[in-house]
Amino acid sequence: MHKTPADASTQATAATEFAVRASDIHKRYGGVTALDGVSLTVNAGEIFGIIGPNGAGKSTLFDVLCGITKATSGKVEVLGQDVTRMSPHLVARSGVARTFQRTAVFGEATVFDNLLYGRHSSFRHSVIGRIFRSPAYRNDHGAFEAKAREVLAVTGLGEDRGRLASVLAYGVQRRLAVAVALMSEPKILFLDEPAAGMNGRETDDFIALIRLIAPGRTIVIVEHDMAVIKSLCGRALVVVDGRPVVVDAPDQVFKHAEVISAYLGADDD
Amino acid sequence: MPDLPTEAAMTAPPAAAIPTLAGAQGSRVRPLAALGVAIVAAVLFGTLVTNSFIVTIAGYTCAFSLFALSINIMLGGLGEVPLGQCVFFGIGGYGVGIGMIKFGLPFELAAALSMAVSVAAAALIGALTLRLTGAYFSIVSWGLSGVALVAALNLTDVTGGPLGMYGFPPITVASIPLANPRGYFFVTVTVLILAVLLLHAVRDSRFGAAMESVRQNRHLAQSVGVDIFRQRLKAFLLSATLAALGGALCVPYAQIVTPEIFSVGNTVDALLMVLLGGSQLLVGPIIGAVIFTVIPHYLELDPNVRILLFSTAIVLIMIFAPGGLHQISSALIRRFKRKSGAQDPR
Repeated sequence: MHKTPADASTQATAATEFAVRASDIHKRYGGVTALDGVSLTVNAGEIFGIIGPNGAGKSTLFDVLCGITKATSGKVEVLGQDVTRMSPHLVARSGVARTFQRTAVFGEATVFDNLLYGRHSSFRHSVIGRIFRSPAYRNDHGAFEAKAREVLAVTGLGEDRGRLASVLAYGVQRRLAVAVALMSEPKILFLDEPAAGMNGRETDDFIALIRLIAPGRTIVIVEHDMAVIKSLCGRALVVVDGRPVVVDAPDQVFKHAEVISAYLGADDD
Repeated sequence: MPDLPTEAAMTAPPAAAIPTLAGAQGSRVRPLAALGVAIVAAVLFGTLVTNSFIVTIAGYTCAFSLFALSINIMLGGLGEVPLGQCVFFGIGGYGVGIGMIKFGLPFELAAALSMAVSVAAAALIGALTLRLTGAYFSIVSWGLSGVALVAALNLTDVTGGPLGMYGFPPITVASIPLANPRGYFFVTVTVLILAVLLLHAVRDSRFGAAMESVRQNRHLAQSVGVDIFRQRLKAFLLSATLAALGGALCVPYAQIVTPEIFSVGNTVDALLMVLLGGSQLLVGPIIGAVIFTVIPHYLELDPNVRILLFSTAIVLIMIFAPGGLHQISSALIRRFKRKSGAQDPR
């Protein structure tokens, strides 16, 4: 958390290490091909965008990358580990966190308890340990409190920590979703259309939040809102009809002929 | 002088500070004070009430409360309606019956073995059914209780068939005779208090938090690293253990175990207790069990009228206070506090 963005980017370019690498991903649902040979490499420490028209397969790609959906063929590596066939909760434990397109928080719980649930993979104590307040329980407790305080401060949710998640405003719930993701101290954070449904001010706040939490981690964003992609991402991948079209700086990708035709709907089919 | 955070602050924090792991839910009642009140109330009740019928019923209510608590691990904990939970309750009852009558084991050992069998059965059933959710899980588990009922009716050599098992030798726990109403009450109430303490610790642990996160949003829970199936299986095993213990402790009261123990009516009774008392309150099922036993007794209700009355009550409660009766009382307390000018901390 103490690295500056400059540190993080030099680290990413200096080392050849990658955070996410997908090779020739195919995903078919029955006769429908959702992904048709997508390969991509996300460098450690960068903010990477995935964009494309509706139905292009962005969300499917996103789910495959973070382990929720399994690819029909191809290989996904995250942080040097082959996660192609790994259970989603194990992928999560290896340092990957995500938010969902439709805001997902633990609605019946307070903000504070949401953070508690988000901390699951760092906890080590057992029920027996809880009864006797074992060292493991006390360590977990102390580390959780410290992390919760930090995350509440970063996301600006300190005031709301006793409130039920379901009564929070939409933009606040989105920040809570990020806060829950941060509790597991992820090395990679996947954000699924984080700005969808936000008003201008909420979007600006959200961009500021992502900038704040970006140093020291890799962030992958699927987004419709090009303003968000342009202001956050160093590189973006354009997906059209399940195929990767171009990877480049957000400003550059829209100069690509196929991208223009896809976005203008000049499709011959 | 400003207070420094100490070990004591962690164990008994003021309401505004970060409480235990379970946060909001765990902190509402100070656990130690509640425990003290429960123990004093149990001792006073057990020593002062002289009507042995009442004391016996109270003991039975405690035993059946264990079953209601086990149902609530599934309902309040996982959000599933376990219509087949009576399988484990029945294993507890039959375990004691078979252990004591066929093998001449002491009650404690027979009860412990029946709990072990129940856990094994739950592991098997859970492995097969816990990937199902909602109505599918409920229906399949109900079906399994039907299988258990038919088995108990027909395995005459083991279960005594339709007549069941009776003719128990004197039942004792740590040489306390359970035929004595007071002895029975003190044993069941002690077990009940220990069970509540265990469940309190569960709720406030990593396991409890994971269970609650799965109930509220399984996809998000999975994405923060929770193994959904494993947590559900653990909860199921715990609930099967408690159900068997409840079933075993009901035997000294009934003095007979019949195949009816596997009837879904038993499960429904316990479910009603949970809904009456409130599924999100740790002791909700116990409150429900007390109401469920006391009211019919004093009103001397016909069983059919009782079902009509309780069904109506459940419908009304689900409409007006989905959190159970305690929701009404806490709403009243809040209103009272607001009127008297006190500030509501939440």
